[in-house]
Amino acid sequence: MEFLLHIEQSGFCTWVRESDSLFAYAGVLLLHTIGMGFVVGIAACIDLRILGFAPAVRLAGMEKFSPVLWLGFWVNTITGIILVAIHATSKLINPDFYIKMIFIALAIVTLHMIKTNVFRDPMIDKVPPSARAKMLAVMSLIFWAGAITSGRLLAYVGAGAAGN
Amino acid sequence: MNAAHIHLLLNHFPTVGFSIGVGLLLVGLFGKSDELKRTSLVIFFLTAAMTIATYVSGSDAQETLKDTPGVSTAVISAHESEALVAFAFMQATGFFSWIALWLLRRVSRFYNWNLAVVLVLSIVTFGLMARAANAGGAIRHPEIQSDVQESSAGDPAPTIASSWRLFVMSNSFVWPTCETLHFIGLSMLFAVVLTVDLRMLGIGKKSLSFAALYQLLPLGMLGFTINLITGIMFFVATPQQYVGFLFFLKMILVVAGAFNVLYFMLLDEPWTIGEGDDASKKTKFVAASAIAIWIGVLFCGHMLPFLGNSF
Repeated sequence: MEFLLHIEQSGFCTWVRESDSLFAYAGVLLLHTIGMGFVVGIAACIDLRILGFAPAVRLAGMEKFSPVLWLGFWVNTITGIILVAIHATSKLINPDFYIKMIFIALAIVTLHMIKTNVFRDPMIDKVPPSARAKMLAVMSLIFWAGAITSGRLLAYVGAGAAGN
Repeated sequence: MNAAHIHLLLNHFPTVGFSIGVGLLLVGLFGKSDELKRTSLVIFFLTAAMTIATYVSGSDAQETLKDTPGVSTAVISAHESEALVAFAFMQATGFFSWIALWLLRRVSRFYNWNLAVVLVLSIVTFGLMARAANAGGAIRHPEIQSDVQESSAGDPAPTIASSWRLFVMSNSFVWPTCETLHFIGLSMLFAVVLTVDLRMLGIGKKSLSFAALYQLLPLGMLGFTINLITGIMFFVATPQQYVGFLFFLKMILVVAGAFNVLYFMLLDEPWTIGEGDDASKKTKFVAASAIAIWIGVLFCGHMLPFLGNSF
């Protein structure tokens, strides 16, 4: 706990938390939200396409947006680490934080499985996605929705919630 | 120019736009002119978009007027509630008009059910909007007031807006639930904005044509609809949070987003972009501006607690 307090009270964390600069807390959180739009937006598009929405869109084309997804993912990893560090003593004892991390881990594992099962399939766009691919797509949508929900609730439940 | 001026300027669009739209749709239906039907649908869609800015500018106008002698809070509340009902019907009209415009490109024809829904909704909206406009006029024109009585004693009669406010205040789960849905809607909208507009800028061009990506548009519209509904829920619950320049800028950008999407739905140029084709400079510019507009909307919304009056 002392170690966490040390991080939380460091010069950088104190500045991010307490400065009125738009590049401090407001800017970090803004990047985290834009990153979310990139990650979940592209992932949801791929998932819905696998499920049969917008059938004329070629899945091979959708894969080209993966770098955009990963750009968002790394922006959110960095901003996410900052957002946890500035409230390390409260967020890291909040069970909701770990629920969010589990959802994100599951979503990324699912994304990799979609890559091997759909994008690496030589029959991509020649035959409709398999039942297994559709299952993965549904799971991906559930995991991302879970990540957004648990992330939003970090401001409302457990240690570090507004008003606590 | 203050907030009340802006509200007075914008409040002509809903009634004027819808009277022209209903007229054109009726002429188009009787004269069997698809061009007139299409024009009326575009007018309904754009009027609905502009009415978002009109509706939310009312709160700012109320702030400006609240200490003016002779202005009745009860009359303003009555106007607010009538405007909210009219607004809901207008947005529904805009939504179904957009669906009809989308289907027209997708399957090259109008569906009768769709036009019937738009016709009924637009006529109902026009009536409701005229009523709301009349109630709004009564705020500064006591000579036309008839049915609204100032209740000097006791609580004012509950309105739709005040009941919703009470519901949000007494149920702590409502606000975070709406916020979560607002984030999910944001992701759906971004899904379409990023894929369609980044393709226009060159990503994945070898295997993606515009005509294929066009099929994704309803996903973005659904995301926008979720965010409009949850956004209005925030607004109606705590209108005092959403006054000032930043929030108004957000609404102006939303209107710009509505104009932007019509470029891809009405003009033929994007449709010539097949697999492997580069988009024209103009199309690239419109695509890049779409990404800028929606990130701008997100920016303005996000910064409300930091730069604006929101908490």
